[in-house]
Amino acid sequence: MANDHSAASSDPRRRHRHEGPQKHVVAFVLSLVLTIIAFAAVSAGEINTTFTYIILVGMAVLQVFVQLAFWMHLKDRGHLFATMGIIFGIIVVFTMVIMALYWVWW
Amino acid sequence: MAAHAHTVKRYRGLMDWLTTVDHKKIGILYLIAGGFFFLIGGLEAILIRIQLIKPMNDFVGADTFNQLITMHGTTMIFLAAMPMLFALMNAVIPLQIGARDVAFPFLNSLGFWTFFAGGVLLNISWFAGDIPDAGWTSYVPLAGPMYAGGHGVDYYLMGLQIAGIGTLIGGINFMATIINMRAPGMSFMRMPMFTWAIFITSALIVFAFPVLTVGLVALTFDRLFQANFFETGNGGNAVLWEHIFWVFGHPEVYILILPAFGVISEVVSTFSRKRLFGYSSMVFATVLIAFLGFMVWAHHMFTTGLGPVANGLFSIATMLIAVPTGVKIFNWLFTLWGGSISFTSASLFAIGFIPTFVMGGVTGVMLAVAPADFQYHDTYFVVAHFHYVIVGGLIFGIFSGLHYWWPKMFGRVLNEKLGKATFWTFFIGFHMTFFIQHFLGLIGMPRRVWTYLPGQDFDTMNAVSTVGAFLMGIGTILFIVNVIVSAANKKPVADDPWEDGRSLEWSIPSPPPEYNFKQLPLVRSYDAWWNEKQKGNTEMPPAEPVGPIHMPSPSILPLVMSIGLFAAALGFMYDHLIVAIGGLVVTFGSMFLRSVFDDHGFHIEPEEQEKGVHA
Amino acid sequence: MSAHDHHLDGHLPHEPEKATLEGRNKILGFWLFLGAETVLFGTLFAAFIALRHQVLDGPTADHLFELPMVFAATMILLVSSLASVFAVQALHQHKVKAMIVWLIITILLGLSFLGLEIYEFNTYVSEGHKLTTSAFSSSFYTLVGFHGAHVAFGVLWIGLLIAQIFKKGLTVVTAPKIYVSAIYWHFIDVVWVFIFTVVYLMGKVG
Repeated sequence: MANDHSAASSDPRRRHRHEGPQKHVVAFVLSLVLTIIAFAAVSAGEINTTFTYIILVGMAVLQVFVQLAFWMHLKDRGHLFATMGIIFGIIVVFTMVIMALYWVWW
Repeated sequence: MAAHAHTVKRYRGLMDWLTTVDHKKIGILYLIAGGFFFLIGGLEAILIRIQLIKPMNDFVGADTFNQLITMHGTTMIFLAAMPMLFALMNAVIPLQIGARDVAFPFLNSLGFWTFFAGGVLLNISWFAGDIPDAGWTSYVPLAGPMYAGGHGVDYYLMGLQIAGIGTLIGGINFMATIINMRAPGMSFMRMPMFTWAIFITSALIVFAFPVLTVGLVALTFDRLFQANFFETGNGGNAVLWEHIFWVFGHPEVYILILPAFGVISEVVSTFSRKRLFGYSSMVFATVLIAFLGFMVWAHHMFTTGLGPVANGLFSIATMLIAVPTGVKIFNWLFTLWGGSISFTSASLFAIGFIPTFVMGGVTGVMLAVAPADFQYHDTYFVVAHFHYVIVGGLIFGIFSGLHYWWPKMFGRVLNEKLGKATFWTFFIGFHMTFFIQHFLGLIGMPRRVWTYLPGQDFDTMNAVSTVGAFLMGIGTILFIVNVIVSAANKKPVADDPWEDGRSLEWSIPSPPPEYNFKQLPLVRSYDAWWNEKQKGNTEMPPAEPVGPIHMPSPSILPLVMSIGLFAAALGFMYDHLIVAIGGLVVTFGSMFLRSVFDDHGFHIEPEEQEKGVHA
Repeated sequence: MSAHDHHLDGHLPHEPEKATLEGRNKILGFWLFLGAETVLFGTLFAAFIALRHQVLDGPTADHLFELPMVFAATMILLVSSLASVFAVQALHQHKVKAMIVWLIITILLGLSFLGLEIYEFNTYVSEGHKLTTSAFSSSFYTLVGFHGAHVAFGVLWIGLLIAQIFKKGLTVVTAPKIYVSAIYWHFIDVVWVFIFTVVYLMGKVG
């Protein structure tokens, strides 16, 4: 919609509530915790391999979600097409990973 | 407005064309360059057909034949078809959405020049004597360092890499343009069908081309730096190349055909004097085709040995695509149904497109049947199939679009008599060339083989096919004659020369002034211009008062950047590291300059607009 | 439609990067470019995943990778990403000085990441893990090297932008550039999340 312009742009007369640093620090701490869990799961070395894989992928996906949403502002309004672009990119990547896992060697 | 009175150098003549950032001029540049490569690719096709006219012919040798088929395929797809589509996109899209330019005029110019640099690089291989000969798919190990020594395949890799940058830039540019630059009131569901088709096509480009980029990089590393992606002896995998190539390659064929669908929708609707039947189902079908297009790549690899599960999945997914495509075909038929059809050249090409493309689609579904594909694979049946969808689909679409929008692009109407002669020679020639190839394939003639023995029932059919190819060549020459004749004709053209124009481009002069719209139009419905005409209005209602219009400044940097990439590629290929680094320095230096010096552009004041600044 | 409404003088709007159509185009176009980059890295990942066990006579992933170093690199990028998000926050509050400080921190961390990576690659090569060793090594260096090249480009780019801010100040022209470079920097960090997960940690697990 052409009106998106005004939605995406800021109205200078209306002062936005300044976002504080707290939100970003929370995202940082979350990313940190997720990273540490992933490294710990591998360092521990005692867990079964499949389970470790699941933990690793889960942590990575969560962390990417956190960073996309908060640091890259994807959750803010006016990001419809940006979000669609990233989601479609992820779908393509997903099919390619399936390809790499199952259809290259047999 | 004194603060904005930047004086900007306006170039004239050749410099104007080298520095232009005007989408209309870039469209013309794309058309000239794409048309030039189309002639080269066509010449290669004629040579291939002459070689195959009789059994055991020795017109060209086996090596030359391999080079001809490789260069024919690569040139036609990347350097002829896509640029001619970009020509139509550039010429029409900003006008259809009521915008003054694309979102990134500078990048638009960069996209053209990188494509052109890549195309020239690929084709100077003819002069270097080291010509790509591993087929347009460049399958490894045939294209690997072991079996393709020399620099032939390097030209393919570097040329496509550079041209691919241009295409990706174009895709991003047109997506951003269509999302952000639409005129007030033009919601997504009021966009003309061609704009929709280009929007989806651009999305396909954005998500498919990076795959090719990586594939080309990997093969380049294998060839130039002894990496092992596809070197089976060192743990590499040849099937990986096939996957990467076709994950890109299949969306690529939809990148080619969707714009043609868009052109046909516009032309059929205009020349039937009817609203496009089933507009929203058309949009939905386009989106669905694009999405499914990413999920079917392995149908090019049925005989590779992926196993029954993969073959079954990809078989079904491929057949599914026939459903939205069928929706489109019926929508065109229902648009024609009961319309008062005028058979102009543009409309003839569109109407000829429908049955031709249906035939290509039907053989497509036949090929999607995995067990049957084992029989068709690598025979002329496949050659016939993809020429039916690419020539019968895309090239008919491009011819249709060129006849339709020529007055808007150049301010001259193409001669109708010559246009119809073009259609009939090309149409008959096309079917003569390729219809018979289905049967050649079914009785077992393999593709990509330079000659054949007599006594296999191939002889007559091949001779007929070659005669057809000459007819297509004559059709193309007639089109060029038409272009020259129309250029000599100085008769001015009306804003709406077909009188039944439906979308915004027909509401402004032909050719449009460089700012397109003096006042941005207010769009009140789908088929905006048609509806205003129905209400008795002679122009679009304006959405803004007359005022100074901001324009981007021309720049030589895109050309310089492309020359830098061109030099760098040659440097890497021939191990002249200094040339390679020098080229990259030129390219990145230009990027630096572009970033540091702001482009303030200039303004065209209302008084100047009255004088009519023409493109 | 153009840069008229908020020109280079007077008050900057709250989000100066989105004040002009040019700025909004730039941000949207850049996101689409990142969509393409996602696919680019995804293809590199796919190639790596397909070839990761093809080690031949070269050292294995388990033998090569040292988790403390990878963890250090991860932390460096994560903190640099935080610095860059603070820079954007300073941009929104029009605190030019703070913004420049955060940007400088970002590129310093980026440089140390690069230094660590060069050291790491150097060690690997001395252990007999070269680009030409095996399919595993080729795909490893291509994937991680592409990421490293992106970091290097980001460092140069943000450095150039800092110079521009000194010269031109924070305007509706420079603000979108800063914003877009920050998005780029986060994207590099996001790619790294998958690199340390898929390449290093999964390589350790085997």
